[in-house]
Amino acid sequence: MTEFLEAANTSPVGGSAAVSTALAEELLGLVQAVEGVHSVYPAQPLWQSIAGAALAAVTGEKLPLIGLVETGDTLAVKVRIGVSASHPAPAVTRKAAGAIRRHLLPRAAVVEISVVQLGS
Amino acid sequence: MNTPNDTLDCGHSLADLSAYLDTGQIDDPAHLERCPECQAALASLRNLSQLGGDLLRSDVADAGSGNDDWMQSILDNLRLELRPGRSIPLQAEHPDDTLWESEGAVSALIRSVADALPGTAAGKCRLQGEVTIMGAPITVEVEVAVVYGHPMEERAAALRDELARTLATQTELNIQTINITVTDVLEPPAPVQPTDTPATTDPLNTEDQP
Repeated sequence: MTEFLEAANTSPVGGSAAVSTALAEELLGLVQAVEGVHSVYPAQPLWQSIAGAALAAVTGEKLPLIGLVETGDTLAVKVRIGVSASHPAPAVTRKAAGAIRRHLLPRAAVVEISVVQLGS
Repeated sequence: MNTPNDTLDCGHSLADLSAYLDTGQIDDPAHLERCPECQAALASLRNLSQLGGDLLRSDVADAGSGNDDWMQSILDNLRLELRPGRSIPLQAEHPDDTLWESEGAVSALIRSVADALPGTAAGKCRLQGEVTIMGAPITVEVEVAVVYGHPMEERAAALRDELARTLATQTELNIQTINITVTDVLEPPAPVQPTDTPATTDPLNTEDQP
């Protein structure tokens, strides 16, 4: 599986955790609203962020479901979704990517979506 | 259930998940809501448990103790296939979009289609070929165990048709061949012998009966 690698010069969106969190929540709502998306999973697979998962278990803080990394003028968005069996996953995935891209306009974006569960 | 190296990449084992199905207890229940691999494993274990119940009148943990080769084989394959595996590309509408399906998700889908047939449990489910290259020819290999009495050829044909339809809808893989192998035919439970002594205990618990 392709890893989500952060470039050398990256920073949270807008340079502010609050702005980043707000945008991530907006994008999460968009993705969840796409017909056929039944789940959104943490953007970083758990085995790649054991420390974060452990911390989240202790603090009760939820792991981020939408990964956002800003590189220069470009925003990289990473999402992992589950798609219900009643909808074609490729089309659902493209719809989700399009929804994210339209929401971010005119900002340049790199959108990566992985379908990690097919069927409910 | 004692399956060697049965720990998934997320840290949970099939034994943990089987125990969770039996008891409802697990260290981190919230984890199950956010881990697709655990969710796929639970779905498969539920099917195995149901099949095991129908077949053996015992739970999957007992059946998978290592004494039943067919069950052990299924569990071994399940452990392998629950890993995310390779990234299978999907066509994107924008050149800067990267869209994938995980191989683990497709394997779990194949398994769920096979498991949905009554009296059937999927064993090995593999995608053979360069799945990371769009359009590369792919062969699907599925091994199943079936309960005796179900017509195998008819079952295999139905499974092949359903897999072809499902994979054409849910993936963009160029499926060339779907090979289905019945690796185990499982005997149904022996009928209970009538006895002169009226049963006074749980009729499903035969341990105390001669």
